[in-house]
Amino acid sequence: MTHRFRAGFLVVVVAIATIGPATVHGQRGGPPPGPGGRQAGPPPTPRAGALADLTGYWVSLVTEDWRYRQFTPPKGDYTSVPLSPAGRKIADAWDPAKDETAGEQCKAYGAAGLMRMPTRVHITWQDDTTLKLETDAGTQTRTFAFGDAKGQGGDWQGVSTASWDYPRQLFPPAFGLGRGGGTPPGGSLKVVTTKMKPGYLRKNGVPYSATTVMTEYFDRFDIPGGDSLLVVSTEIVDPEYLATPYWTSTHFKRQADAAGWNPTPCAAR
Amino acid sequence: MLKHRVLVAVLLAAFGATVLAQAPTAPRADAPPAPAIDLTGYWTPPMHEDAMERGAGSEIADYGGFALNEAGRLWALSYDPSRVTLRHHQCDAYVTAYQMRAVGNFRVWEERDPHNMRLIAIHVWGQTTEGHRTIWMDGRPHPPAWAPHTFRGFSTGRFVGNALVVSTTHIKQGWLRRNGTPESDQATVTEFFVRHGDHLTNTTVVNDPVFLSEPQVRSNDFSRVPVDHAAWLYACDDGEQILDRAPDFVPHYMFGKQPYAKEFSQKYKLPLAASVDGAPSMYPGYSATLRTVTDAAANALFEPATGKPNETAKVPDPEPRDGEIHVLPIREHTYMLVGDSGNIVVQTGEQGVFVVDTGAGTLADKVIAAIRRLSPKPIQFIANTSVHAEHVGGNAKIAAAGADLSLPGSFFQGQGATMGAVTGFFGQIGATATMLAHNNVAVRMQAANAPAAAIPPDTYLEDRRRKFYNDEAIELFYEANAITDGDSLVHFRKADVIVAGDLFTTTQYPVIDLKNGGTVQGEIKALNDILNRTVFEHEEDGGTMIVPGHGYLSNEHEVLEYRDMVVIVRDRVKAMIDAGATLAQVRTARVTADYDTRYGANTGPWTTAMFVEAVYNSLKPPAATNRSR
Repeated sequence: MTHRFRAGFLVVVVAIATIGPATVHGQRGGPPPGPGGRQAGPPPTPRAGALADLTGYWVSLVTEDWRYRQFTPPKGDYTSVPLSPAGRKIADAWDPAKDETAGEQCKAYGAAGLMRMPTRVHITWQDDTTLKLETDAGTQTRTFAFGDAKGQGGDWQGVSTASWDYPRQLFPPAFGLGRGGGTPPGGSLKVVTTKMKPGYLRKNGVPYSATTVMTEYFDRFDIPGGDSLLVVSTEIVDPEYLATPYWTSTHFKRQADAAGWNPTPCAAR
Repeated sequence: MLKHRVLVAVLLAAFGATVLAQAPTAPRADAPPAPAIDLTGYWTPPMHEDAMERGAGSEIADYGGFALNEAGRLWALSYDPSRVTLRHHQCDAYVTAYQMRAVGNFRVWEERDPHNMRLIAIHVWGQTTEGHRTIWMDGRPHPPAWAPHTFRGFSTGRFVGNALVVSTTHIKQGWLRRNGTPESDQATVTEFFVRHGDHLTNTTVVNDPVFLSEPQVRSNDFSRVPVDHAAWLYACDDGEQILDRAPDFVPHYMFGKQPYAKEFSQKYKLPLAASVDGAPSMYPGYSATLRTVTDAAANALFEPATGKPNETAKVPDPEPRDGEIHVLPIREHTYMLVGDSGNIVVQTGEQGVFVVDTGAGTLADKVIAAIRRLSPKPIQFIANTSVHAEHVGGNAKIAAAGADLSLPGSFFQGQGATMGAVTGFFGQIGATATMLAHNNVAVRMQAANAPAAAIPPDTYLEDRRRKFYNDEAIELFYEANAITDGDSLVHFRKADVIVAGDLFTTTQYPVIDLKNGGTVQGEIKALNDILNRTVFEHEEDGGTMIVPGHGYLSNEHEVLEYRDMVVIVRDRVKAMIDAGATLAQVRTARVTADYDTRYGANTGPWTTAMFVEAVYNSLKPPAATNRSR
């Protein structure tokens, strides 16, 4: 190897060393780079670096699985849900009176079932690193913590960790080729929830277990006419009661204010 | 040493070119944004929502969660699933939003400019109904209001944030749900595609001013699959399913007579009103509000509301009304000219120009100028589809701008003076275009004292007139007592274009002109005659194109829906007449309630009341007609 070649090789290695971290930084799940593609000082807080404004009041549009969501379906009607045999056994044994006696009227209002309820949703920043989501149906509160998980779980809403998720960048912004080249254009809120108390996916006792892992993506879309939609794409993985991952997407329409907000207690029937 | 060189070469290949390319990194202001997501590949829906709807099919009268207005609800309740056994309905495809909702895999591929790699379009091929959808990504505008509709519509897309946002217009009438829940041809759809790893979420927002009281939102999930699922279907071909039906039979239910309408609520022990209540059924708290709905109030939802005025069309005006003539190429040197009220068709070729209908005549000079731009040859023939002013209004001017070069030097020129003295025609033989029409058009125009120069001299009396012109067979078919007693269809056989005149429009109820010999039965027969001459290209899209008297360029599907509408209204009126109803009672019954938001008018030259009266008086035995008034 000549000295000239060694020098060239060194330049390339240094270049890679410089570029590499930035590239990694630009992958899915990390904080977005600053304007123009350069890392501008310390990363912004999740609140300051939010890729979408999800705050405000939203009302669910129950246009799918309507009969299962607007009304409590009969026992054993778990059409569409990929229950395992163990899951079916639990669903077939549903007894709302028993839930009421046990003080477990909120089993259908746990994190894995809550967003499918006909409900209004209020989303706020609890602090710079925590989003809070409240529902009037069942008067429930979920918190989405960016960074380290908070809480021990074991309750209806479990433990949720959040991150901003944006399209993958193949190259760091500085390179300006391909899909890189600037601040990501927008993105989703990704929420992973675990450690939930066992509950119901549907009000008629379609179960999920304590081992469930739920991954949600919250997307906001602005539609012609001035309205906005919040679409929550959900994957529920439950090795006990589901034969396959269970996918739904649930949509809400933005409200200008708290109109219609009507906190109600959980109901088992 | 060698491995170092290879490594360096690889690194340079990866990054060196990048460095060289740094200078022009700032995208041009007009450059489209780079694709935020990659949708290419094979996708399959998990169907973890509404599995029954998307698999076996929805139950009858399950419209819960749909923002149907009164027209939409009544249209759905009138729908008889047996309608799909009719030949022309057998291959109805799914419209865009429902295509995304229904069962079926799809594949997606990109189309890029080979010279600069810019994204031109994203193509989607749906397994169900084998539909090819194109989402244009090159910034092209949507077509004008008079352009054809297809089941997939015309889609344009753009990347916004991490989503592909797609806007679709020009969609045919179809289903929001395949139990008869309708989506009109006036619906537009906004979609959002977001990909999270191998999970794709497609959100559809349907705006339908005809059948919905607010946008219908649904979100659909898809999983990316690594290989072709190899389960593609094949193009539909219709056939004979139920024989010996009358040609004017369309399966439907009278208002309030759908025998299975209440099965759904009974089966699932839901309140009767629940699944037919429209937009309120989408919102939280709905089940609680239903506790206060009485049976009488619930039953009322299954029929038109009484004591209510007719609704009017919630449809944008399809006429340009900008004082200009707009040319829409159809096929094979055949064009549709829009702008002077009634649609005009122009065929060009070696021999000259053949024109069908001449508009209202207010923009005749611009019509002539538009024709001149299409062909330097003389306008040799003009055919009129009817006597109505919006189709013969430009006759005199446009004929005068043309010439029938087959006549000078012919026998007719020699006899011109004599014949002109006798008939009023052929005075200036060959100096104008020759006008053709059914004889009753000429008779009616003469009776109305129309100028001789505007009256077609070359008329026919029987079922058919034919002509071979510009290397194409052209046929005129007489449709007796339809809109008037002088209506013709004009079929360009090579281009496979049928000019329907006012026998078919996309803008209003048929103007059944009883004074000029029209009847509802003749109108239904005429629409069926159109359908008997059409062939679709793929799943009810394309094929024989139909030019309506007013409105957008169509194919058989639009004629079919229009035919169904006329038959259904005819049946309702006839049933009431048979039961002894007066015209006033028929009007009060709102027999067009499910179509008024599409075609209705309470003012103007042709109102819903006039249409209902025309149907009533066509059906009522003449002796009794006066008593009914």
